[in-house]
Amino acid sequence: MEMRLLLSLLLAGLVSTVAALSAQGSKLLVVLEDESEKSRYSQFWTDLEDRGFQLTYRTPKDPQLSLFRHGEPAYSHLLLLPPGKGTKGLGPNLTPNLLVDFISAGSNVLMALSGEQSIPSAVSSLLLEFDISLPPDRNSMVVDHFNYDSSSAKESHDVLLLPGKNAGGSKKGVADILSVDGILALPHAVGAVLGNASPLLNSIIKAPATAYTYNPKEEQEGVEDVFATGDQLSLVTAFQARNSARFTLLGSVEALQDAWFDTTVQHSAPGSKSEQAANRAFAQKLTGWTFKELGVVKAGPVTHFLNEGSQQNTSDLTTLSDINPSIYRINTEVHYTIELSTWSVDHWVPFTPPASDAVQLEFSMLSPFHRLNLAPTTTPANPNASLFTATFTLPDQHGIFNFFVEYRRPYLTNIEEKRTVTVRHFAHDEYPRSFVIMAAYPWITGIWTTVAGFVGFCALWLYSRPEKERVELKVKEAGGR
Amino acid sequence: MKLLPSVAVAALSLTTAVAAVGWSFEDATLTVQAKSSGVGGAVKEKLSPESPLSDPVTLSASDSLKIVLTATEGTTGRRPHQAFLTLHEPTTGLVESFPFSLKDNGKGKVEFTPKDLPYQLASPPSGVALQASILIASFGTSAPYNHATFTLTLPPSPNEPLTAPETPERYAAKPEIHHQFRAGPAQPPRLLSTLFTFAILATLPVLLIVTTALGGNLGHVSAAFGAAPVAHGVFVGSLLAMEGVFFAYYIGWNLFQTLPVAGVVGIVAFVSGGRALTEVQERRVKGER
Repeated sequence: MEMRLLLSLLLAGLVSTVAALSAQGSKLLVVLEDESEKSRYSQFWTDLEDRGFQLTYRTPKDPQLSLFRHGEPAYSHLLLLPPGKGTKGLGPNLTPNLLVDFISAGSNVLMALSGEQSIPSAVSSLLLEFDISLPPDRNSMVVDHFNYDSSSAKESHDVLLLPGKNAGGSKKGVADILSVDGILALPHAVGAVLGNASPLLNSIIKAPATAYTYNPKEEQEGVEDVFATGDQLSLVTAFQARNSARFTLLGSVEALQDAWFDTTVQHSAPGSKSEQAANRAFAQKLTGWTFKELGVVKAGPVTHFLNEGSQQNTSDLTTLSDINPSIYRINTEVHYTIELSTWSVDHWVPFTPPASDAVQLEFSMLSPFHRLNLAPTTTPANPNASLFTATFTLPDQHGIFNFFVEYRRPYLTNIEEKRTVTVRHFAHDEYPRSFVIMAAYPWITGIWTTVAGFVGFCALWLYSRPEKERVELKVKEAGGR
Repeated sequence: MKLLPSVAVAALSLTTAVAAVGWSFEDATLTVQAKSSGVGGAVKEKLSPESPLSDPVTLSASDSLKIVLTATEGTTGRRPHQAFLTLHEPTTGLVESFPFSLKDNGKGKVEFTPKDLPYQLASPPSGVALQASILIASFGTSAPYNHATFTLTLPPSPNEPLTAPETPERYAAKPEIHHQFRAGPAQPPRLLSTLFTFAILATLPVLLIVTTALGGNLGHVSAAFGAAPVAHGVFVGSLLAMEGVFFAYYIGWNLFQTLPVAGVVGIVAFVSGGRALTEVQERRVKGER
């Protein structure tokens, strides 16, 4: 046991030195159409390499390109740049099937599209696997005549400017992971419509209310049949699978290019000033999220114990004699603790849920009997995790129950921790005795009165003396006759 | 998303004032045509690009709404790339747009019925009106136009109530559940229990008094103990000891502790009882009972 622990510690140490940043791994495969394209993203590559990723560049036609080796994913992460003009798809090594298998195996994918190029049907069908629909036009672009960069797209209005603080949705109870200060420039973006049914899909950046898609190749002067408008269009989309693998669709690949990292942009609204685009910061956050540097939550040990008698309100769990018992009795008070930590750059730190959100514990048999918000606390004894605790009374129902923490939230990896315990009913000698129940006193008194009466009767039977001498009944009777 | 429209609106109010050339519309008419009413039975309103209609437009389930207008760039009628009628539900922020079909001279129309609206817009919470705005914009430098033009109320149709789609699953904290415990066992009033306890206790002195009155006494104790002291002492002692065993069983003993002791006490009571009762019989034979 100790040997194994030592080994795993050693292994963990090794892994942590190799993976400097991502909680998952550092091997990143970049698929791009040709080598000449690579130079346009030099700052982006440098940023990734500085953060500890090992980049491998391949073209879709490269015979060496394979997502799997010996049936296991050969890379932790995949970055797909849009396939070039004239290609039908991503090639035989990147079919939608293989990419879905790659994600099912737990690897992460960042896919970038461009409105400048036509989108192959292979990409559309891959996206449909995630319930993301692209416009039926293979050439489509989002324009907004109200929020464009007037310094670079004065006429064409196809460089969208959006506030970076809305990235990741400023919804209540959702972790704010992707927002950046400043303004984002998304040139020639492809907008997608997200299916409503899946909780796995989230729009990181929606198009402004006045935006719409159109086909720039079409000669028509006005749009009359529009695919989607306004914030129905998602420009950057996040998909997190049930195994916490991440897939991100970036509608505008040009936003990652050097040209848009340092450029100054000016909003089309009159009176607005030129400012530096925040694309570089956003690209870091977006790749950070996709490649599991951000929003990674891990569950540590789970403890539960009977919070009664000598164990009541124990803060030092090591002193407990009976930890994580397999059986409890109904109506007893139980203390539950789970450790959660989140990945921060290169180590684990205590996890705190976003405002107005809570980690919840369900105590359930088929359906939850209790669903409680857990209170986070940190202890100096464990600086890498926060303890989420609850103390509650077990239901008055015996059976097989689960302590179940299921924490699934947008942009955070999934936590699912289940501990099964038996809850038994009272044993025959655990009920309160009759002498502590006031209502039982008439009955108790009845029994002991009877006992006293019996003893008295026995004494009377044994020792009573007739008061008068017995008269001869026979004689009297005879005399009477 | 909240910031942008407000920025856009603020910017727009500036644009219309500053920019010389901007998109707008003229000769706009809104018509609500009820299905049952014939020609001339329709409600008609003139729309102005500067100020929205003061009264809300009511669109019943069977009505259709039609807007005819001429889009203008500056003063001349032209076809813009984007001409939308946008409906906005203020409580949820949901938006749906209907594009105008336009001719080259800027003349265009849009027509829809409540059936064309998605459920979330077609059945807003009662008292909430949809904000309708007309959006005219195109490429180039002309200032785009986007202003609230009228409000639209959609009275629910009693004949064909809309079926609400199922709420899709979203990951979020769920409401807390606290188990409802069954009520504990009820107790009668303490006074009643006390009263009955004393009533039962009182039967013992009553029994004693009645027995004495009927001539009961313990006058032969000395005679009995004089004749057979061991037998009587042990028999009475074993009777009391048996009650003691029962008491110990009530307080804490289990059956395995109780039964052997009760057996021993029982045998002693049987043997000594035989002797003691022999003595009692002797007294009876003597005529002393």
